[in-house]
Amino acid sequence: MKEDKIFQDRRARINGLRAKNERMTCRERALMGVKHQEPDRIPIDNWMVPEIQKKTMEYFGCDSYDELLGFLGVDFRNNYGPSYVGQSFKKHPDGTVEDLWGVKRKTVVYGKGTAHQGSYSEVAESPLEKLQTLEEIKKYDHWASPDWWDYSKVKADCMVYHPQYCVINVGDRLDRTSQLKPMMYLRGIQQIFLDMVMNPAIVEYIRDRIIEYFVAYNHRVFKAVEGEIDIFMMGDDIGGQTGPMLSLDMWRKYFKKAFKTYIDIAHQYGIPVMYHSCGDVKHFIPDLIECGLDILQSLQPKATNMDIKKLKEEFGKDITFQGGMDIQHVLPLGKPEDVKGMVKYALDSAKKGGGYIICTAHNIQIDTPIENVVALFEAYHEYGKY
Amino acid sequence: MDILKNIEEAVVNGKFDDVKALTQQALDQQIPPSDILNKALIKGLERVGKLFECQEIFVPELLMAGMAMKEALTLLRPILEKSDIPPLGKLVIGTVEGDVHDIGKNIVSMIFAGSGFQVTDLGIDVSAQKFVDTVEKEKPDVLALSCLYTPTRLAMNDVMKLLKERNLRNRVKVIVGGAPIDQSYADMIGADGFAPDPPSGVRKVMGWLGK
Repeated sequence: MKEDKIFQDRRARINGLRAKNERMTCRERALMGVKHQEPDRIPIDNWMVPEIQKKTMEYFGCDSYDELLGFLGVDFRNNYGPSYVGQSFKKHPDGTVEDLWGVKRKTVVYGKGTAHQGSYSEVAESPLEKLQTLEEIKKYDHWASPDWWDYSKVKADCMVYHPQYCVINVGDRLDRTSQLKPMMYLRGIQQIFLDMVMNPAIVEYIRDRIIEYFVAYNHRVFKAVEGEIDIFMMGDDIGGQTGPMLSLDMWRKYFKKAFKTYIDIAHQYGIPVMYHSCGDVKHFIPDLIECGLDILQSLQPKATNMDIKKLKEEFGKDITFQGGMDIQHVLPLGKPEDVKGMVKYALDSAKKGGGYIICTAHNIQIDTPIENVVALFEAYHEYGKY
Repeated sequence: MDILKNIEEAVVNGKFDDVKALTQQALDQQIPPSDILNKALIKGLERVGKLFECQEIFVPELLMAGMAMKEALTLLRPILEKSDIPPLGKLVIGTVEGDVHDIGKNIVSMIFAGSGFQVTDLGIDVSAQKFVDTVEKEKPDVLALSCLYTPTRLAMNDVMKLLKERNLRNRVKVIVGGAPIDQSYADMIGADGFAPDPPSGVRKVMGWLGK
């Protein structure tokens, strides 16, 4: 941590508020929140793209991301699971690299040559997209295997953060426990949606291969960590900006059973489950609760039906929420006072009685001004006290 | 005229094999292609749009309807082009530079084509230069820009700036869409409009063109 006066001054407000508010460890606070109890202040989680991590570290004079999280009062630490020891991912002459599922990926750069330049790893080609029949798909030989991972270090990786922090096993963005996402990668988004109407057998076959992998993989992870994971996170985007992407009937038909299976496995090991989906997912929530989901993540406030106040009123007693901070408009385009207003609204609406973890609805994006990032965290501490 | 009703129903139900077969049947019965388009296909598509907007159907069903229209148009388009019936309008569409997401854009593209527009789809990760060159060359009525990520929407502004620089801004209407876009963002970059979903996009553009 840099101790020059300028950085000390920038850190003073958050340090002062934290000294006043905090009376317990991050882990105690986070787990109380999940259990619908009121800790000393609101539990805080953080999602940022790497470019914003760097910008924020520089602003506050932090030498590492961990140091930044420590300073900001972020209560959670991510564990990315076991280490990959399978065959090296195949590189192709066109620059694409195959991922865990044999899906060719490429790095796509946005904002080239501007202050907002960044990149994402995107699907370049879906290997099952052009296949016509189930028989052809059955010949595919690049299904992921739980044997491709070394599970021996996960426990130690989690223990680094204990007892201070709450450890979330998040997996990797591209390979997080899910059903629909790898199906989209393998078959292409458009084709898998069409299959859901026209080719149920294809949907079920691809889905079952994916479930088979994650069931075996998660058992091994949970066994290996021996209680050192505090929260298990899975994710599948089933919500869009203006409504759910699929009907409740279709979700029930294809995805509900394994959604519950994934939760049951984590619960067997005593681990609460967080589920991420962007977008409007309101019509799924009663089913998610029925399946035993502990924490619903994202609460994208600009999506339809995702107003945190209404969700808390309707479902707050049965489920914990994480997210709610808008990265699409308020953070990149608003003023610091808009950011503070957003934080205050969410906390006034959802803090009472616990069951709310404050966080952005997705990664804070590269086009967000640093003043707004500062305002966000200051407001978390300003309005977060119980 | 039952066959037109049957085509409309098949579009609504996303039965694209039926839509294609019935369209062929209608053509064989000498029903004017413009009637098949306007009194059956577009009518069906409008109903689909309403069902989507009130969340009675979702992306898979909307896609199916779009695909059904596409099938029917493979039969109708050659005939419509030979006749003197002009398209409702010309639209150039694409996902902006740095963004490769196209499910939304593809649906919009299909729905516009299905509604009687001549559509040039430039695909994904399209540079401002390419959009503007295409506007200059093809002289569309409307340019439609799409994106999914928040930071990639900045590339929409690049397109707007380049249109101005090349003195083409007043020659084309610009509509923007995608998850991080709303009316205030459209206003900020000086686009003519925004639509939250494909059906309302078609309605907005029809309004602009006085259709």
